[in-house]
Amino acid sequence: MKLNKTLIIFILIWSLLPLGWQLYTSFSTPEALTQPFIFSPNRWTFENYLQILNSNPPFWKYLLNSLIVGLLSTAITLIIAVPASYSLSKSNNRFSKLSKLFLAGSAMFPYVILFLSLLEVARKFNLGNNLLAICIPYSALSMPLAILLLTAAFKDIPKDLEEASVLEGLTLFQRLRWILLPLIKPSIASTAILVFLFSWNEYPIALTWISKSELLTLPVAMARLAGSSVYEVPYGAYAAATVIGSIPLLMIVLIFQRQIVSGLTQGAVKG
Amino acid sequence: MTLTLENLGLCVQRNWIIRNINIEVQPGECLALLGPSGCGKSTTLRLIAGLDKPSEGSISLFNKDLKGISPVNRKIGMVFQSYALFPHLTVVENLALGLKVRGYSIAEQKRRISYVLELLQIATLRNRKPQEISGGQRQRIALARALLRDPLIYLLDEPMSNLDAQLREDLRPELRKLIISGDKPVIYVTHDQQEAMAISNRIAVLNNGNLEQIGTPQELYLKPQSIFVANFIGRPQINMFEPLDSIRIAVRPEDIYLDPDGIQCKLIYKEWLGQNQLLFFDTPKGTIRMIGDTALDIPSEPRITWKKQKEHHFSTKSGKRIS
Repeated sequence: MKLNKTLIIFILIWSLLPLGWQLYTSFSTPEALTQPFIFSPNRWTFENYLQILNSNPPFWKYLLNSLIVGLLSTAITLIIAVPASYSLSKSNNRFSKLSKLFLAGSAMFPYVILFLSLLEVARKFNLGNNLLAICIPYSALSMPLAILLLTAAFKDIPKDLEEASVLEGLTLFQRLRWILLPLIKPSIASTAILVFLFSWNEYPIALTWISKSELLTLPVAMARLAGSSVYEVPYGAYAAATVIGSIPLLMIVLIFQRQIVSGLTQGAVKG
Repeated sequence: MTLTLENLGLCVQRNWIIRNINIEVQPGECLALLGPSGCGKSTTLRLIAGLDKPSEGSISLFNKDLKGISPVNRKIGMVFQSYALFPHLTVVENLALGLKVRGYSIAEQKRRISYVLELLQIATLRNRKPQEISGGQRQRIALARALLRDPLIYLLDEPMSNLDAQLREDLRPELRKLIISGDKPVIYVTHDQQEAMAISNRIAVLNNGNLEQIGTPQELYLKPQSIFVANFIGRPQINMFEPLDSIRIAVRPEDIYLDPDGIQCKLIYKEWLGQNQLLFFDTPKGTIRMIGDTALDIPSEPRITWKKQKEHHFSTKSGKRIS
């Protein structure tokens, strides 16, 4: 029990310390960072945040871009993955087994290898510099994992429940709407967060598909910030950008905490 | 005739799950489908409900062939073994869902639900969710849902097998009052032969997907048509003797009595059952079970016998009854 507590504290420090350091850096002046032990009125500052928010285009624009891309890719992924996984969970023929194999394969495929050919696609179909277009590769890349997760969730629903609703007269759409989707809500929430996280963090495709500065997503904008000057690295501004960039994620996790946790443990215990 | 199963069969991946099932259900009758697990009794029920499609044969309800008719249009009130209540909905929502979908007005939904909740004495559970109520209560909700369906026929799939023995006996009269003694036919699937005998007018015994025998509980008990039925019906189990000249003789434990001219045997052990006792004897014919009065004083080496007319004779070849 005691060892357990020490371990938990250790893991907490291990994972929270970098975040704390980032927070500390974002409120420090450049002098304070190079000389950690100075005590001067210039020790703490909001300058980094002001600098970021007043740049051109302002930083919240990137946040908004990332939010649009994230929400839209998540929506597209779920709209396609839910019916696909429902039918995969129902059928057990050779074709569905083969599709699952392909899905598992592509879920494990390192997508970085794809980005050059994706760039070609973007050029050919004129998809560059378009926030809506970038959602297509994002949702396509998240699709295999999303389908596999949701298929497992659909399979966990006892067969009796759906048959009972068939006997009660519910159509396929009504069954999905009133019985099946509410029952797999935790899995949908955790899948949605995985997809959202992927598009929120994605770098190579965003870097190559988007060049207009007012359309950049967060990761690319941050990288630009870090490399904006040859002579110095603006640590403070960079840290402020990461802090702002992680606030939406923290908020999502806090709101959906219960669903995520129950989604993670789902299937572990028969209930 | 209300429900007729004609030559019904289901084949999955070249295995016949059930085959040659011919059953006619009389109006208002409760028919029990009885058999060990895997015998095809639940499969038969699913075919009637329309959840699976038969590979051969036909099912007709009130002289109307059910082929191609969707489960909901068959107007069937089904109770699942697991109850199949929707876990995310409250009791009232569970009951209302079907009514809503089938187009009842809100006032009518309310009236009907209140009526069945009163009938089953579960009105206090209205706003609970299935996981917050006991097994017996869930069972009642499942019954209520079947009642609300206002069906032509009730299909009950082992409705009480998840309940403890006490509750099962408590619920039996209620089940009889609400569903079984009504004018609608009931098909009751169970693996418990005592429950089947207690509750139904006729029993169909299934084994390995075949219909072994169909008849009243008395017929099955007194004149089992096969070795399987003789073994399956009646507790304590019937005494099956070693075959002689391809004839197998069986005698029920209660037909055996002490007799000074009987066969010599040795008492192995006895089980006290309360109203009587079950005695196990070692005899030259193998172990014999006998039901005796508790007052009976058993010598350690008694002699036992039975009346010739109480014997059941079976052919060892076909397993069927002779004479």
